[in-house]
Amino acid sequence: MKKSNRLRATATCLMLGALAGLLIGSFSFAEIREYDATEGSEGIQGRDYHQRLYQRGRCEACHAVAEPTGYPADGSCLDCHRMNGLVAATAPEDEEEKWQNPHDSLHYGREVPCVECHGEHTNKEPLCADCHNFEYPNHQY
Amino acid sequence: MQTRKEGHPCFLIMVNKTASSSRRSFLKGIGAAGIAGMTGPMLVGAAQASTTEWNETFDLVIIGSGFAGLAAAIQARQLGLESVAIFEKMPYYGGNSAINGGLFAAPGTPLQAQEGIADSVDRMVADQLAAGRGIAHEPLLRHIAANAASALQLCIDAGSEFHPYLQQLGGHSVPRTYQTTVSCGAGITRPLLDKCRELGVTTRNRSKFSKFVQDEDGRVVGVQMQTRYYYDREVSEGETINVRGRYGVLVATGGYSQNIELRSAQDPTLTAEVTSTNAPGATGEAMLAMFRLGAIPVHLAHIQSGPWASPDEGGFGYVSNYSIYNFPHSVAINRTTGQRFMNEIADRKTRADAELANRDAEGKPNPPILITSYDHAKEHPSAKKVLKYKVGWKFDNLESLAAEFGVPLEPLRAQIDEYNGFVREGEDAQFGKPMEKIAGKTIEAPFMVVRLWPKVHYCQGGVAINLKSEVIDAATGAAIPGLYAAGEVTGGIHGVSRLGSCSIPECMVMGITAARSVAGSVT
Repeated sequence: MKKSNRLRATATCLMLGALAGLLIGSFSFAEIREYDATEGSEGIQGRDYHQRLYQRGRCEACHAVAEPTGYPADGSCLDCHRMNGLVAATAPEDEEEKWQNPHDSLHYGREVPCVECHGEHTNKEPLCADCHNFEYPNHQY
Repeated sequence: MQTRKEGHPCFLIMVNKTASSSRRSFLKGIGAAGIAGMTGPMLVGAAQASTTEWNETFDLVIIGSGFAGLAAAIQARQLGLESVAIFEKMPYYGGNSAINGGLFAAPGTPLQAQEGIADSVDRMVADQLAAGRGIAHEPLLRHIAANAASALQLCIDAGSEFHPYLQQLGGHSVPRTYQTTVSCGAGITRPLLDKCRELGVTTRNRSKFSKFVQDEDGRVVGVQMQTRYYYDREVSEGETINVRGRYGVLVATGGYSQNIELRSAQDPTLTAEVTSTNAPGATGEAMLAMFRLGAIPVHLAHIQSGPWASPDEGGFGYVSNYSIYNFPHSVAINRTTGQRFMNEIADRKTRADAELANRDAEGKPNPPILITSYDHAKEHPSAKKVLKYKVGWKFDNLESLAAEFGVPLEPLRAQIDEYNGFVREGEDAQFGKPMEKIAGKTIEAPFMVVRLWPKVHYCQGGVAINLKSEVIDAATGAAIPGLYAAGEVTGGIHGVSRLGSCSIPECMVMGITAARSVAGSVT
């Protein structure tokens, strides 16, 4: 990707990130939608707050390349989303449950890459569900 | 810690060299075309150093980020190895250790002194040998027990916190088991990982081992790794790199409980229908690659199931630790008969086998129930979670309990009365459970109940190592130069049945031992 494109993508990301920041704690409002044809991303599934990226065909904003063939880098989501904000948004009120925070867990702290529990173009179960019957009603995909 | 040198078959090294030299001459004779079709141990699953371009070089390359790998990395840095790297296949660190129970057995600890418990290396080894049923490796058990307390201290120094009390687990003759305050191995792996980074250890996730690299003398000089590996899709989206381990490669990759093909080939009862407590990465590829190099496979068919697991949640969950804590003062009941069917603190294999025999008339699993006085059960921190997440239940009286689980009420009542008599008399006439530590703990309403069904938990088998954590060549009996292994990937230490809380000390001590051997080999 050209540097100027990369910068534009980053700028878009930051703008959307700021918007997402306002919505932190309200993840239940995000919806998966099918989007109309955009260049190179026809019918692709994604979060509503990423809609502008799809409309502009900006795959590179997350994938770093215009025509992705694989997953984005693990740190990609965190170019826009703030880890501290995510941790705060899902922090349990009860002190006894503090390690059940999916963004700051007993087992792995804050180190689980986002894509282990979230899929942008596919549905995913939280990693915790491998062993625990936790309820995360706001986790949709 | 003093690394024991006995049992190291130095005299066999010459034999090894002779064998590999003659083999090389033979290979030269048949030419490259012939080599491609060969299946000799030097060429399958291993690359040759002479044709390898190194992407990176470290003093010590460690594969796996569980207890053994982390302990080795810390010790290696402390002993002056300048560059140490840990490569982890999974997207997150800690391996199976990060989801285990955090139970650490050691003799001669401060808590034992405080509680006035007489214990010794000999006594711990004797308990382990009994569970090993004649095929455990006594020198290795002795080495681990002798160094367990100092390994525990390494965890404490790194920031691990432990409950202020000891537990007596199944098969142990005295209370000698510490447990992290978070009741999980993560209470050790996370501080150790932090410590590694503080000491400048390189840590890489999504890095999948693909093969060893050997030099022309057969020494393991590095590994080939796939990067940006996604275990769930089994694809690597990064480049394949060659990583040189200047002084050695340590394999600390854990067991193969999640490799259904491999485990069910060893034990046909462990099909896909039997679930496992293990992390999904426990599939054993690096162990298989060591066998291809010529390592001795030991006890692969001895695969342990955890008798404290619950069919009502995945993996280790919350019930496992709850049951481990509560087994001594609880009764395990067959739901068809309303009777006990085992010593609740027998070793793991005895209990798992007894539980698996709980079947309905058609032979289908009929998971037994563990009944505990709520007043005793609630003492363990997991009890609240067990109730909250509906993997265990509280009952005000025996009638409602029996109705819920379809247990015949009168036989159950008679059994509990009989058992309470054993508690008062201090002797279990039914199954010989040691009663000294549960004096006064009769079973009374209200009750707490969980269901039990074994899950594949631990592989006693793996590669043979010596007291220096060196991997032994089956053909020669000598160590494979440059190759070390520690933790569950090694085999034969525990024999038929590993006692609970004896894996963490093994991983820690043998990881530390490997680092000392590598550091000691630097000239």
